[in-house]
Formats: sequence, structure tokens, C-alpha cells
Amino acid sequence: MSKFVSTVMHSSKTIRHISFAKGSLYLFVIFIIVSWCFIFLPGDSGFVDLFRLETWIHVKIFILKLAGVESELTPAFFQVDRWIATSKLAYRTLAMSVLAMAIAGTGAFLTMVLAARNVSNGDLGGVPSRFGMVMYYLVRANYIVSRAVPELVWAMIIVFFLSPGLLPGALALGLHNIGIVGRLTAEVIENLDPASSVSLRSAGASNSQILIYGIMPQAIPHFITYLLYRWEVVIRTTVVVGFVSAGGLGREFILRLNWFHYTDVTLILIWYLLMVIGVDLLSTWLRKVVDVD
Amino acid sequence: MKFQSVVITRHRGLLLLLLGVFAWSLCSVNWSGPIIHTGGSSSFLKLWLSLFPPDLSPDFLWIASKATWTTFTFAVMGIVLAISLGLPMGVIASGILFERSSSNRVPIIIVFRGLLGGMRAVHELVWAVVLVVAIGLSPVAGIISLGIPYAGILGRIYAELLQGTPRAPIDALKQTGASPLKILFYGYIPYLLPDMLSYTFYRFECSIRASAILSFIGIQGLGYQIQLSLHDLLFDQVWTLLLFLIILIVLVDLWSTRVRRSLLA
Repeated sequence: MSKFVSTVMHSSKTIRHISFAKGSLYLFVIFIIVSWCFIFLPGDSGFVDLFRLETWIHVKIFILKLAGVESELTPAFFQVDRWIATSKLAYRTLAMSVLAMAIAGTGAFLTMVLAARNVSNGDLGGVPSRFGMVMYYLVRANYIVSRAVPELVWAMIIVFFLSPGLLPGALALGLHNIGIVGRLTAEVIENLDPASSVSLRSAGASNSQILIYGIMPQAIPHFITYLLYRWEVVIRTTVVVGFVSAGGLGREFILRLNWFHYTDVTLILIWYLLMVIGVDLLSTWLRKVVDVD
Repeated sequence: MKFQSVVITRHRGLLLLLLGVFAWSLCSVNWSGPIIHTGGSSSFLKLWLSLFPPDLSPDFLWIASKATWTTFTFAVMGIVLAISLGLPMGVIASGILFERSSSNRVPIIIVFRGLLGGMRAVHELVWAVVLVVAIGLSPVAGIISLGIPYAGILGRIYAELLQGTPRAPIDALKQTGASPLKILFYGYIPYLLPDMLSYTFYRFECSIRASAILSFIGIQGLGYQIQLSLHDLLFDQVWTLLLFLIILIVLVDLWSTRVRRSLLA
């Protein structure tokens, strides 16, 4: 009912909104057609192969090899020593994802207040300054760059300077997530009710007191929630970054695939899924503990 | 007494836990070995110096534009595949097509939820690497590996949206004797379309990034060119390509934000 009333009240505005969405949809359909032509017209797209029998026979053989059916050797996932060997790699992968979150968390925590417009322009009771505005745009620009570049590209650049291992991968993951976590938390701060900060100010609180008592108590639970939520994404990506930065399960995965050790590939995929599920459960539970309203 | 912030007292344990885990992860790095490559610091310097200016020669701008376009088209096709897989699976996983009393409702929901979960548990590049071995190196392999995890994500969100729909209008439709499919198309979809479209547009933005790194399996988009330029130590070209990637992402971000704002207004 209220939806109906608001539609009537803002009808002219709504129609303009809807026409923008509709136009975007038409534009997207055009993009789909053009992309289809661009990818599939050259003829070497492999689309036809999907309807060939030999492709599917190949897929079947590949799956059988992953399951270790076609070979006389004991599959790697039935060998205890293989499980122990890969568990060390899984442990390092987990450590890499945690370190990545720590880097992202530290970076975002130090900058997120600067990236909130209502802090820099004084809406939260602070004193607006030119320095604050410059920092606002600077931090926001950095967030955009860090977010736009995928983890894997960061990793490729970083391995040029740092020796392979946990650190370059974690740094790459961290750099990408600083922008994401920072932006999300800055937006939380921008949507804060200014009342508490303004009343702190009128009671004579200093800038740092407003920060500690007015802003942080409301922002930190959201910050931790976003961090935990991103951890679920990061654990999936850690393996991929390992392709490049040589840390943890990712490198092993690529090597085993190149050596045609298919049952080892399966074992690594099992570890991968176990970690993804484990982190999902842990993160969900921890987010319940934080419990943002 | 002075520092009696609500958060600190309420989440003291959690904060301590997070700090402890952070310390543990720092310990697992091998700090005794060389952290920086031999020659790493000089190439770091070289990387920053080559930002002024990046390679803006017409030849290279053409290469970069072509790579950007390739990345964009693969993202579009990937998200199209994701929608066409994710929507039907999401509808089935939401269980709205079945009678509440039906005995196979719960098993079907569990199976489809598990499928969607498995699809999104594996990163798109892992899918890509596996698919290249399974069906060969081709653009289609790239599109499928983009489509599978995104279908998993979209399907789950669609299912959650469908389940969160208010019951009253749906029950009213049911009273008139409409079939489950009719209820879906005349009851659920029109109600949820703004939410579904806005979320899909947000995911489109993510798929651009994913499509850029798919180049690592041979699709000649931005990631591929970045890799080539890095190998040739042509850092000024790397900057140009990064710039193109950032501009593409920012443009799609602006577009998707505006679409979402207009749909949810």
C-alpha cells in the first residue's frame, strides 16, 4: 500500500527512473548481440565442439582420471602421506588468506574515516578543513585503483619485487580488499546518524573523542562484518593467487595438472572445498557474534 | 573507566581473537629468507618511473582498446550464461514451484542448493584451468568458466529473493487457480524484477574483473596483455593497460550504480 502511495506521489520522478533502467536494459541487449557476434562469428570459438561426441568422450575420460578409476596406482586421495603433505600447503593457504585479511583490515581501518565525506566536510561535528577534503579525494581515488585491479594482476606485479611465497600473495589479496572493505565501511560512516557526534561536539569533545565515542562504536561492528564476509571470498581467491605467487595449494594445483597427476589434483580440490566450506561456516558464526542489528 | 566504549567491552573477546589470528599469520611468513628479490628494488623504482608517462603511442592504444573490448565482451557473455543457468536453478532451489505438502520438495531444494553452492565455491579461474584440460582451450571454455560460478551466486540470490516475497498476493493468485509457472511469471517476477536486475547489474561489474583475469588461460583480454608487457619488462605499457582496466571498471561501476539507484528508488 505504501509502495503504491509513494509511486503516485513521485510518479514523474519514477517514470524518469524507470526509463533510465529500461534504456540501460536495451543498451545491454545490444551489448549482448554485439559480443555474441564478436566472439562467435570468427568461427574458432569452440562453440561447435560442444556438440561433438569426441569432446564429451574427452570430458568423460578426464573425469574418470580425476576419480583415479583408469589407473593401477592408488589414487592420491587414498594415501595418508599425500593427505599429510597437502595439509601443510592447505595450512599455508589458510595463513595466506588470514594475512591478506589482516593487511586489508589494517589498510582500510587506517583510511576509512578519511574516506567518509561527512567526516571531512564537518557534518559529523568536526571542523572542515582543506586537508580533510584533499585526503578524502586522495583516499577515494586509491580505493578505486586498488579495487579495480584484480588480485591476480596485483600478484603478477608484486612477484617482480618480492620473493615468491606467502607474502606477495597475501599482499596482492590485501591490496585488492583494502579498496573494497574501505569503501563499504566509509559508506557506513557516511550513513551514520550525526546526532551522537554533534551532541558530543556541543559537550566539548575533541576531534579524537568524537572519533572514539561517536564514530567508531557504530562503524567497527560493520567493519568486522565486511572483513569476515570478504574472508569468504578471499579464501576462494587465495588458491588462484597461488598460481602466480607460489604460495600454498595454488602452485601445487597447477604443477600437478601440468604433470598429469590427476588424482593429486582431485585431492587438492577436496582440500579447497573443505577450506571454502570451513571458512564459510566460521565466518557466518563469527558474524552472528558481532551481530550488527 | 575512561575507555568504556560499548564495542570494546562487548566485542573484547572477538577483537583479541582477530589480533591473535593476525599475529599467527604474520608468524607463518618466512621472514628469515630474502623478502625482496635481488634487483627487486631497482625494478620497483623502474615501475614507478615508467608511470611518467605511460605508453600512449597510437599503436599501443589500439592494442589496449582491443584488449579492453575483448574483456568486456567476455564479461557480457559470461553474465548472460550465468543468468540463463542461475535463474531456472534459483527458481527450483527456492521451492516455490512445488506444493508445500509435496514429498519431493525438500530433497529437490537441498540438491539444487548444494549444486549452486558447489558452483560458486570454486573460483572462476580454477574452473577455467580445469575446463581447458577437459574441453580444450577456446573462448567457449572461458565463457563457461565465468558463467558457472556467477550462476551459483545469482541463483542463490534469486532463490533468497523468491523466498522472501510476501505471501498475500501469491496466495491470492493461487486462489484463482493459477498454475505454479503462471504464479511465477505474474506474481513473483514482476514484484522482484527491480531487485533482481539491480543485483545482476552489480554482479556484471564483478564479472568484468573476472573476465580480465580469464586472459590467463589464453583469452586475449587485458590480463593477457598485462602479462605480455610484464614479461617484456615494458612497465609503461603495463600502466596504460591498468589505466584502461580502471576506466572500464569505473564506467561500469557508475552505470550499475545509476541503474540500481533508479530501480530501487
